[in-house]
Amino acid sequence: MLVFVRFNSGPGVAVEVDAGSSVGELKALVAQQQGLPAAGPLRLLFAGRELQDGDTLQASDLPEQSTVHVVLPRPHAGLRLQEKGAGQRLTRLDLHADRSGLAVALETSPASPSPAEDGEEGGGAECQTNGYRTFYVFCKSVCGAVRPGKLRVRCGACRQSTLTLSRGPSCWDDVLLPGRIHGVCQSEGCPGTVAEFYLKCALHPTAEEDVSVALPLFITNHREVACIACTDVLCPVLVFQCADRHVICLECFRGYCLTRLNDRQFIHHPLIGYSLPCAAGCPDSLIKELHHFRVLGNEQYMRYHGYGAEECLLQMGGVLCPRAGCGAGLIPQAPSTQRVECEKINGLGCGLVFCRDCKEEYHEGECHMAASCSGDAATQCFVVDEGALQRSRWELASRDTIRETTKPCPQCGVPVEKNGGCMHMVCPRKQCSSEWCWICSVPWNRDCMANHWFG
Amino acid sequence: MAASKRLQRELEEILNSDAKNAQNVQVDDTNILNWQWLIVPENPPYDKGAFRIDILFPVEYPFKPPKITFKTKIYHPNIDEKGQVCLPIITSENWKPATKTHQVIQSLTDLVNNPQPEHPLRADLAEEYVKDRKKFLKNADEFTRKHGEKRPIY
Repeated sequence: MLVFVRFNSGPGVAVEVDAGSSVGELKALVAQQQGLPAAGPLRLLFAGRELQDGDTLQASDLPEQSTVHVVLPRPHAGLRLQEKGAGQRLTRLDLHADRSGLAVALETSPASPSPAEDGEEGGGAECQTNGYRTFYVFCKSVCGAVRPGKLRVRCGACRQSTLTLSRGPSCWDDVLLPGRIHGVCQSEGCPGTVAEFYLKCALHPTAEEDVSVALPLFITNHREVACIACTDVLCPVLVFQCADRHVICLECFRGYCLTRLNDRQFIHHPLIGYSLPCAAGCPDSLIKELHHFRVLGNEQYMRYHGYGAEECLLQMGGVLCPRAGCGAGLIPQAPSTQRVECEKINGLGCGLVFCRDCKEEYHEGECHMAASCSGDAATQCFVVDEGALQRSRWELASRDTIRETTKPCPQCGVPVEKNGGCMHMVCPRKQCSSEWCWICSVPWNRDCMANHWFG
Repeated sequence: MAASKRLQRELEEILNSDAKNAQNVQVDDTNILNWQWLIVPENPPYDKGAFRIDILFPVEYPFKPPKITFKTKIYHPNIDEKGQVCLPIITSENWKPATKTHQVIQSLTDLVNNPQPEHPLRADLAEEYVKDRKKFLKNADEFTRKHGEKRPIY
């Protein structure tokens, strides 16, 4: 196997060793390369701990093309850190949020941590809990998918992986929040004592800067809990942070997100952002790490981003430019006037001046929702190129269609289409959600229920 | 497709269960999203017949609820002439992906057995049910005998 060795934080040197070789043998090789008289004093650091001479590289969970650090002992850091058993190894740590954040040392057979197969199908075969199957990350650079991750640590000061931990992390907060775990940096002259954790995709060798975002809600389904939606026992699963800790498989989670996205039913929370609660609708269960929505795939994730930004803007009291193809977000400067201009700044904005209330072209006085603007358009018979003419017709057709097929929500005015069901309407805007009668356009009431519930 | 996988599983569960209503389900051979079910109420005046319903599952199932319509005519305050019914468990606000079809059927059977005149779909029948129960029972009984399907023999 190939291992990159960085001697005293110098550049990584590729060393070809047998996977069964011991740490001592690797040190000897390095000593030879560096022209040192003896390998004895060298210390080999990997994933936050010092590897012991007697261990094999395989037993130390060293994957192919890993980078290890070799340092000479620091004169003042006399203490040799104790080997604290498998439970403290970053490579064998299970941070299950559902055990009140306690870390669990995994019973592992050190053999065969083969990161070869690909877990994309979320198939049950991927469910063994050894090695680095216990963290999941979104690998953006290479896989573009949810992948098993590996946890690594570096010194908060010099940012080299030369930090040995004084204790391992015991919950996700230890990993994700800075400054909670300390250690000793073994780099020469570095006073660093703060551990900085990061995750990488475990399915392929990774460049040093190729870190991945942690998805703490995805875990290995070692309890074999059935998915809340498809009822299959799959792996990995997402565990919602509701009281019941409902479980959903990766594929169903994607389906859930996509259905909610299509209906624009994500919830904008002022602190968390644009998110979804547990699929069973449990209270206080919004997903806090929004990168979990990466499962949507690139294209849909971009859509999610767009909707989220729009929702945020609307909640801030902003408006969206009503011109088709523009949709720029605008925050009106003068709240007293209905006149909003979609200013042309930095190539954004289209220059449209419109009324904040009816979203039609700006006008003095009352809004006339159904007023036809076709007459006005006819008088402006200058500098209209072929394309604009075409587009304008299209807009008008869309507008007509919307006018014909929808009714405005009596509370917030958003056009609502009725695609089946009874006359009892619920405003599709999550923030509004008012209940009203399709026939009478008034809040839903007993009379409507009795007289024309189903028309 | 998640919907068909889940429905296949639900169907197997129903067919393998001891519940006597397992034989009341029929699934379109070419489209697993379309089920028919025979509701066999226990309470008078509906206990003289059985009622066929259509269950249409959306492709987004189980993230969106199924739609239910009665194919058999029924004299009931909560079910209208077109067979439409407003069942709280399958409204989009209340729907939960974990809800199984047999629970929906259970809820619907409960509604048939126990009319809720305070949330009527047919105000005339609700009024009759509340003010003249005897007449309601007589009408519903006759209606059930005339339009209801034959009850299966278990």
